[in-house]
Amino acid sequence: MMKKIYISTIALLMFSGCAQNTPDVSGNMADANTLTSDTVTLDENNMFEDGSGMHYNSSSDGFASVYFDFDGYSIAPSMEKRVRHNAAKVQSVGSRQVKLEGNCDEFGTDEYNYALGLKRAKAVKDALADQGVDTSNVVMVSFGESSPVCNETTDDCYAQNRRVDLRLVR
Amino acid sequence: MRRLLLLLLTLWFTTNLLAVDATLKIEKDVEQRARIALVDGSAEHHEKFFDILLSDLKISGHFLADSQMHRGGFSDSFIDLKLKNRDYLLKYNLIADSGTKLYIRLLRASDGTELYKKSYSIPNSAKMPFVAHKAISDINAYLKYPDISWINRYVVFTRYTASKTSEIMLADYTFTYQKPIIRGGLNLFPKWADANQRTLYYTSYKGTLPTLYKIDIYTGKKSKIVSSEGMLVCSDVSKDYRKILLTMAPHGHADIYELDLSTGSKKRVTTFNGIDVSGKYVDDERSIVFVSNRLGYANVFRKGIDTPGVAPVVYHGRNNNACDTHDNRVVYSSRESSSSFGRNTFNLYLTSSRGGDTRPLTTTGSNQFPRFSSDGSVVLYIKQSGRGSAIGYINLASAQSLLFPVSINKIQSIDW
Repeated sequence: MMKKIYISTIALLMFSGCAQNTPDVSGNMADANTLTSDTVTLDENNMFEDGSGMHYNSSSDGFASVYFDFDGYSIAPSMEKRVRHNAAKVQSVGSRQVKLEGNCDEFGTDEYNYALGLKRAKAVKDALADQGVDTSNVVMVSFGESSPVCNETTDDCYAQNRRVDLRLVR
Repeated sequence: MRRLLLLLLTLWFTTNLLAVDATLKIEKDVEQRARIALVDGSAEHHEKFFDILLSDLKISGHFLADSQMHRGGFSDSFIDLKLKNRDYLLKYNLIADSGTKLYIRLLRASDGTELYKKSYSIPNSAKMPFVAHKAISDINAYLKYPDISWINRYVVFTRYTASKTSEIMLADYTFTYQKPIIRGGLNLFPKWADANQRTLYYTSYKGTLPTLYKIDIYTGKKSKIVSSEGMLVCSDVSKDYRKILLTMAPHGHADIYELDLSTGSKKRVTTFNGIDVSGKYVDDERSIVFVSNRLGYANVFRKGIDTPGVAPVVYHGRNNNACDTHDNRVVYSSRESSSSFGRNTFNLYLTSSRGGDTRPLTTTGSNQFPRFSSDGSVVLYIKQSGRGSAIGYINLASAQSLLFPVSINKIQSIDW
């Protein structure tokens, strides 16, 4: 019994000694718990509000990128606002040529991925035509998996790469 | 409890021990291969060169080579007692100070008789691997084994270097030698345009529309072949190099066309309103094998060039999105895991253009970009596994396989 009390006392003294030497880290910016992953850099010129919030937009000249499901090339209902926005924009640029760039994530090989990117561009072109747009000045090109906007290995990142970007031909 | 443990152990052994490439299982021809030892007589030992010679001997399928390097005099005919039970000794002397010089002597191991000798010299020391390949293919030819001159050929491939930027590279088959030949912008899908590998086709994205060019890799002279909206790929070249199969998209979706280079006339071979790509000649160029999503997923099909019927070649898997052909043989990659993202298992299979005699060539990892050698005897592929990327070769006759680790970020397309 006496031995247990002796050990407990020694332990208490040791830990209380340690506590006195430990600096108070509450409110200290060097506390590891307050360090998070890197912050974003927003470019307000490359953002688009689609009803669900502001999102990064890899299109240019005021167009909005259209995104697709894995291995898919049909326009999802959630993309209709973007299509309507693009239709109005194409009509507003008059006779200027507009380029639709089809893109894919990295999960495909060789020619098939380029063909998939092209089908996505064609789906957007057809959707613009359905909005009454004259698409005779719209050209398509597929970049396959060669033009990722995100290189992280996350589902969100891959989804950003399955897209069609729109821009004016220069 | 003991039975359960036994069952678990059995399952563990089954799944782990069988998880090797199928090509490694056949050893029946060992005694038919010539036993050969390499004897380095160079003043300065070059380990990489020895490794290349060894790889060449192994992948030929005709030699059982000592993996241990032996040192000895180059000019004498002395045979170490412990090497006398080999069939041959290959003595070599490599001088690699300015340029590359190689001297080789093939000796009969039993009595030291000189059977063959030759010397090689090239000014560019970076092309040293080609000297090794030439020496081994010459010895192979001297011994009247089936031709392995494919080891002398260039491999051409595209690698991505940044967004919308790529380089078209030349390499020897071991990827020891590598050199960029087309830089600047996005240049894709290189395909050899002649038997001697002087010219190649590639797709340039420099203008508004993808454009197919033919370039002489020695002079840089290039000529425009055709442009197409959307995408444009030269997928195959006829045996006489007068016709090419193109994937083009003038109607907004990828279809396969045959272009007669002498007349300039184009024939539309497929008309599906979906994805038809990777057309490859089969059946004496009267038919093609290609990849299509006409059943809702990527699969391999066959179609006559002048007939409308389309038939599937592959009857398994839900994603068979790359193929190559040689005569009537087809090699294709099949995705065999269901993960939408992350590393999937892709395995290679060999079959016929009619879909018979299918057999697996690989069983583990991600194996893609299958390409036949010019004589159809070997399949090249890119393997991704937990240990990194490698370029792999499977000798279909001897079942020998070799992997060479490569540190290339992302290969887009490859031809040899």
